[in-house]
Amino acid sequence: MSLKQSLLTPLLKENPVTLHVLGICAALAITNSLTSSLIMSAAMTIVLVISNATISMIRKHLPGSVRIIVQITIIASAVTVIDQLLTAFLPETAKTLSVYISLIVTNCIVLGRAEACAMKSSVGTSILDALGNGLGYGIVLVIVATIRELFGKGSLMGYRILETVQDGGWFQPNEMLMLPPSAFFIIGFMVWVIRIWKPEQQEKVDFEPIPLPVEEEGS
Amino acid sequence: MSSFIDIFFRSVFLENLALAYFLGMCTFLAVSKQIKTTLGLGITVIVVEGISVPLNNLIYNLLLRDGALGWVQLGHLDFSFLGLLSQIAVIAAMIQILEMVLNRFFPALYNTLGVYLPLLTVNCAILGASLFMVQRDYNFTESVAYGLGAGFGWALAIVALAGLREKMKYCDVPDGLQGLGITFITTGLLSLAFMGIAGIQF
Amino acid sequence: MNNDSPVKAFLVVLIVAVVCSSLVSAAVVILRPIQLNNQLLDRSRNIMQLTGLLSEGVETDDEEMLALYKSLDSRIVDIDQGLFDNTVNTDTFDKRRAASNPELSVVVPAEYDQANLGRRSRHAPVYLVWREDQLDRIILPIRGAAMWSTVYGYLALEADLNTVAAATFYEHADTPGLGDQITRPDWLAQWQGRQIYDAQGEPRFAVSTGQVESGSPAAQYQVDALTGATVTADAVTALVHYWLGPHGYQPFLSQLREQPPVQNSPAPVEDS
Repeated sequence: MSLKQSLLTPLLKENPVTLHVLGICAALAITNSLTSSLIMSAAMTIVLVISNATISMIRKHLPGSVRIIVQITIIASAVTVIDQLLTAFLPETAKTLSVYISLIVTNCIVLGRAEACAMKSSVGTSILDALGNGLGYGIVLVIVATIRELFGKGSLMGYRILETVQDGGWFQPNEMLMLPPSAFFIIGFMVWVIRIWKPEQQEKVDFEPIPLPVEEEGS
Repeated sequence: MSSFIDIFFRSVFLENLALAYFLGMCTFLAVSKQIKTTLGLGITVIVVEGISVPLNNLIYNLLLRDGALGWVQLGHLDFSFLGLLSQIAVIAAMIQILEMVLNRFFPALYNTLGVYLPLLTVNCAILGASLFMVQRDYNFTESVAYGLGAGFGWALAIVALAGLREKMKYCDVPDGLQGLGITFITTGLLSLAFMGIAGIQF
Repeated sequence: MNNDSPVKAFLVVLIVAVVCSSLVSAAVVILRPIQLNNQLLDRSRNIMQLTGLLSEGVETDDEEMLALYKSLDSRIVDIDQGLFDNTVNTDTFDKRRAASNPELSVVVPAEYDQANLGRRSRHAPVYLVWREDQLDRIILPIRGAAMWSTVYGYLALEADLNTVAAATFYEHADTPGLGDQITRPDWLAQWQGRQIYDAQGEPRFAVSTGQVESGSPAAQYQVDALTGATVTADAVTALVHYWLGPHGYQPFLSQLREQPPVQNSPAPVEDS
């Protein structure tokens, strides 16, 4: 597909989170803060780009027997470096994100795109694909985080937007949005909205209900 | 001994990897359509975690952590930054070996699991358990308890969800929510329910 | 070379391994000093908040914070003996590492272990804040198991070693919005002026189960409850009772009352 398509398709049509259900582990846990989500998406995109580019560069010389383990090694090294950079320059966020940055290694999106795209395409296409998927992932995270932080705490990125009752204002924050399960609900509703908009993404049930016999009038 | 049981129960109910920390969700949501498949997957996860977490603990404490190499007079070195790489390598190797063992001695189970076994290599829950073990600084027996408990908790969650999905198969779900959407919402409710167990003192 | 040959596989793996480990190691070595500095800055910020030495309403910049922190009188206490221990190096002592090291820690007996610590380190770093040769405050590190995680904090006591000057909880992983209320400044502000010990010398401080009635005799020992976070609040009460009880700092504080500490003599002035 064309370069522009590589970049734009993962945003909505083939969003890694809402269609392919990839990489949601971290998406659910850290989206209670918009800042964390932005940094997480950035970290994910960087790892995606580095790993896709590197794997695409060496794809012609990668023997089948060691393919997966080499991919994982490259991804794990990229993640370790990003983790070290975060701990050095953004220590507060690094503490909040802690385990979830390391878990980018097992994030299905990264390995999934490496297998599906980087192993088969040129470096340029792989990088764009990585950017597209990273952005698609980021969009979902940002939407969920905005809802959760705004209505759960009344703030965005730490800046107070709605005056909460605790601070003498009018807004009663929805405490449930601060709990992790709320992310499940929000993503569920997002999927619903997307599938109403794009009905071709809807899943078909694997059975047909037998229509009930219609009662004869009169007789 | 009480610490063993305490950690085991905490990791099954209060700190359930799937429902409290949301690890292993991808496989969770993709596989949980039938109780039989999920049961097999759950058992595999228990075995993999029960072995990988203590193994990673040994490697971390004997080779990688700050001052660990004292037994070869290299106590001033700190290789903890290699933790992630070594953990994922151990898990990948372990699953490869497990695959070969299952293929040879338990072919029925091997066939049921099919492609899911190698997929466990990138299951957040398996790596996550090792990462939490390092973060909480467990010793060897504690990590055995934690590995088994974490695996068991994940298996419990995934089987529960499969049961729920089987029940919902014939429900009249709106078209847009069919499949993925309603599963997310159900899992959210299940997760809320598990949070209610927190606070129980053993 | 053919992709299927085992030699190629070995070579590829070797090259990838060498390149990756060099890059990772380089990153770690270069970034380590910055990370260590961040940790130190973090700790200094947490402790300096409690000293009462920071100017009100003015942001103290990092360098000044570190300088002030380094100028604090920090000492190591042997908790069981209740005495200062000069043999342990204050700069390198890591209380968390010590707590899991069997040689540097003790098991907390079940009847005292309300805070679910399991083990605690034999020594603890305490900070003495002096105001013109008089002891103004003493800052003690405290921790305990809460709902989802271990809560770490500092407690600052006034010179009478009974009244709370300030408190902070700087690390925890409890539920955002519920358990993490223990970091709310308005709740922590209530701690100021509360008494820890009652007339019999038993730790009586507690997070109450409701709103504290200001007239009642128990009010001086209590702070308000935390909505929706009973387990965390009870955990805070338990950890205060442990650390200021007979297996915690109580023996040390009793010794301090009888033998007030002496300020370390200032560094000799250089001859011009």
